[in-house]
Amino acid sequence: MSSIPWQSPSRFIGYFRNNATLRVRRWARKRQGIDDSTTTLRPGRVYILPTGVGLVFGLMAFAMLLGSMNYNNNLSFVLTFMLIGIGFVAMHQCQRNLVGLELTFAGTEPVFAGQSIRFQIAIRNQSRNARYGIRIYHDRTESDVHDLQPGESKIFILPVATDQRGWIHLDRFGVRTLFPFELFRSWAWLHMDLRGLVYPRPSEKPPEPPPTRTAHGHRQHDARGEEDFAGLRKYNEGDSPRHVAWKAYARTGQLLSKQFAGADTSSQWFDFDAIPVTDIEERLSILTRWIANSDRTMEDFGLRLPGLEFPPAHGETQRRQCLEALALFGEDGK
Amino acid sequence: MKAQPRGTDGSLLASLPWTLGALLVSLAPHVPYLAVWITVAFIGCAVWRYIIEKQRRMLPSRWIRGGLALLCFLGVFGTYSSISGVGPGSALLAIMAALKLLETRKRRDQFVLLFISIFLVMSSLLREQYLWSLPYLIGSTLIILTAWLRMSAGESETAKQSFATGGRLLMYAAPLAIVMWVFFPRLASPFWAVPIDTSQATSGLSDSMSPGDISSLSMSDAVAFRVQFDGEIPASRDLYWRGLVMTRFNGRTWTGSELTIDRTAVDEIIESGEPVSYEVTLEPTRQQWVLALDLPKEWSLPRTFMGPQQQLASVTPIEQRISYRATSYPDYILQADLSSLSRGWYTSVPDNGNARSKELATQMREAAGTDTAYIEAVLAKFHDEEYFYTLQPPALGSNPVDRFLFETRQGFCEHYASAFAFMMRSAGIPTRVILGYQGGEINPMGGHMIVRQSDAHAWTEVWLERYGWYRVDPTAAVAPERIEFGARGAALDGIGATWGFSAPSELLQSLTMTWDALNAKWNEWVLGYGPDTQDSFMEWLGMDDPNWRKMLLTLVGGVVGLILAISGLMMLRSRAPAKDRAAILYARFIRKTGLQQRTGETPQGFARRAALESEMSHHVVASVTTNYLNARYGPDAEYSLGKLRNSVAAIR
Repeated sequence: MSSIPWQSPSRFIGYFRNNATLRVRRWARKRQGIDDSTTTLRPGRVYILPTGVGLVFGLMAFAMLLGSMNYNNNLSFVLTFMLIGIGFVAMHQCQRNLVGLELTFAGTEPVFAGQSIRFQIAIRNQSRNARYGIRIYHDRTESDVHDLQPGESKIFILPVATDQRGWIHLDRFGVRTLFPFELFRSWAWLHMDLRGLVYPRPSEKPPEPPPTRTAHGHRQHDARGEEDFAGLRKYNEGDSPRHVAWKAYARTGQLLSKQFAGADTSSQWFDFDAIPVTDIEERLSILTRWIANSDRTMEDFGLRLPGLEFPPAHGETQRRQCLEALALFGEDGK
Repeated sequence: MKAQPRGTDGSLLASLPWTLGALLVSLAPHVPYLAVWITVAFIGCAVWRYIIEKQRRMLPSRWIRGGLALLCFLGVFGTYSSISGVGPGSALLAIMAALKLLETRKRRDQFVLLFISIFLVMSSLLREQYLWSLPYLIGSTLIILTAWLRMSAGESETAKQSFATGGRLLMYAAPLAIVMWVFFPRLASPFWAVPIDTSQATSGLSDSMSPGDISSLSMSDAVAFRVQFDGEIPASRDLYWRGLVMTRFNGRTWTGSELTIDRTAVDEIIESGEPVSYEVTLEPTRQQWVLALDLPKEWSLPRTFMGPQQQLASVTPIEQRISYRATSYPDYILQADLSSLSRGWYTSVPDNGNARSKELATQMREAAGTDTAYIEAVLAKFHDEEYFYTLQPPALGSNPVDRFLFETRQGFCEHYASAFAFMMRSAGIPTRVILGYQGGEINPMGGHMIVRQSDAHAWTEVWLERYGWYRVDPTAAVAPERIEFGARGAALDGIGATWGFSAPSELLQSLTMTWDALNAKWNEWVLGYGPDTQDSFMEWLGMDDPNWRKMLLTLVGGVVGLILAISGLMMLRSRAPAKDRAAILYARFIRKTGLQQRTGETPQGFARRAALESEMSHHVVASVTTNYLNARYGPDAEYSLGKLRNSVAAIR
């Protein structure tokens, strides 16, 4: 009938809602400024609005008020006013439940693109009364709900979906509560400008890794074979758990690693330029997969990127450094 | 339509018992008024639902629930044949709660259940408002709030804590509720007509009087009204509370004429002597009659008028407890002139029936000579001859006056009033019968007078030249103690003489009186807090010329002030404790290392870095860190704090 393309009203409403949300967010950010990584919630930045249940409750109280007036029944006036009073008190309690909480960014662990990165926020209740039903949220994702006893501090984990390698920025997140009766929702926005590192997505079908070169010799550092037991030395971060002398640990309580000598060691070089794929992201993705595989099998590997080289090694440090380099490849002028 | 999953996982196990408890508590006051099957169905559903949750079973299917719903709604309609009013309304609420239970899977459903239980509490208050209704309403609200908190309670919150939180919030809300209750302007008239539950109609004065038909009069102890006199309480024999006036007699039954407003009625009273002022708190009668002491000249009740026989009546039936002030004159001359038309009206008796009585009247009137002598003679006949006062008179059949006067000679006030009025009318003296209450019991605790249904009384007024309408109480001639000591006294005397019972013990009597005094205050100050009481209370508080605008303004001001106070109290409760001494010492240590603690860096992490990067010896760093952690989280915080202080102080 009409040639004008019809748009559903919900889309219009959705547009205006999104627009309004953006404006409010911008306003709040401008008003509050950038937060420190440890921020205490002042009353002025804790916002509050009734929930759906709260609106129904309000309607019910209004209906009860009309009923009481009509029946001129003083006892149902008592009940009605008690409920209205509870509503007011709940509003204040709900806001108070957030005020004074101290939020601290407690770090993230890097993830591969496609996994969700877990931002950890420590919330400390430095007041004398317990705080109930606290959670943090970002858009539609929410953390678990926890109570905080006086003086207690808990870590809240906010999972955020990732898509691309590199830094993922969480420029805002919220903390909210529905306590005590879910009649009101009070919340605060925090702009800590948090970021977390996302490694490239490991390739699903990587080509065969370059051949392993076996070195014969007595390399002192890192490249230890497993042929002849040569003695114990102090545990270093990055040593394989398989090499830890657990019996000695049980005896002495000290972590020691087994040393092997005269071993054949094998190592691989992963070279960015040698991969027969043109797309840079695809290359990074393949490298990521190779590194992940080698790390799993505890093999030594080296990584060669344009202008950057990591000599063969294995262990947590090697893995982290290499993946970090891949994640940030092309950024920060590298 | 998508079938909802019906499985339960026990996640409601912590909150469900409280929700069920809240529903049961709110249902309890309805139980005596509900059909038994509704209570049984509700408890059945509650137990069923609990077992389902406990054993992680499936909820009943949509078909079973639908069938049950249909059955129950038909049942309610069949039982009450209506769905409006407090009775069927609360039955429907109970059924809705029971059915809702069977589909409750999530918290959202529990909200609905709690809203239903609030409505159940509210509707029980519409039905009855006793002194204990207030503690009941507070207690049930507390349970509902606890159930509410249990619903969203986290892992660490115990039921006891929820209860305490609920109680604390309720305590904060109480002053708000009181301010709103006191200052919220009360309406004089409702917006719309309300269907009141009539299952509970109280016995009041009946509109007609047929003494021959009643063979037993129950002595109802129910309070009819209470009276607070301004001055001294008049003697019992002057306490005639005028109700309605009967002017027509058909040989069997006395009835009143159609009630009309008579603006001249009050001017027909020529008062003499001192006025008596008092305040009456009248229990609901569902009738129009407004009781006042003989004879009222002023009354404070709006929409209340005086009828042609000086009876007071409200325009609408009295559905709620009301209180009003009135001023009466016990000494009066009423309507000194009576038109011949009225005389004919007040002397008419049916031509047929009760022939012996008519004949007796004619004889006695002739013998007496004057009207006053005739009245004396008839009263003397009741007094001197074998007439008895009893609450269990025999039935009288046809010609009731004849049969009573000549055969049975037993009766209570109605019999004597009816027979006396008949005798008077037969002799040509204008007479009417008044129904009301006589006497009353003084409560020594409250200083007020209680008039009970058992004090209901019937007496007559005869019209005499120059005197006007003159009250004659023929019962006084038969049983003077009925008038002097009240109906209770007369009846108890009779029973006591027959059965050898002693009077109730004094302790019991004084307990009863205390309870009654409390009830009277409760009625006066809480239930009777209406537009008038509110106005006078506002004036007492110092508000000039109270009106609803001023009250609402005060209400808003009071509520805002209280909310600020409560907010301050909450802030005080949640203020941060004095800054942790351990944290201060640790900060001093960090300053001395010359490093900065990084975001999210734990004390251990910082210690590792400090050992490497600062010039401080790693022994010092380790000891400060250990002591700091022990002081904050360890078992012996004070001891570790001391060590921390020393180790920080030792750093140069």
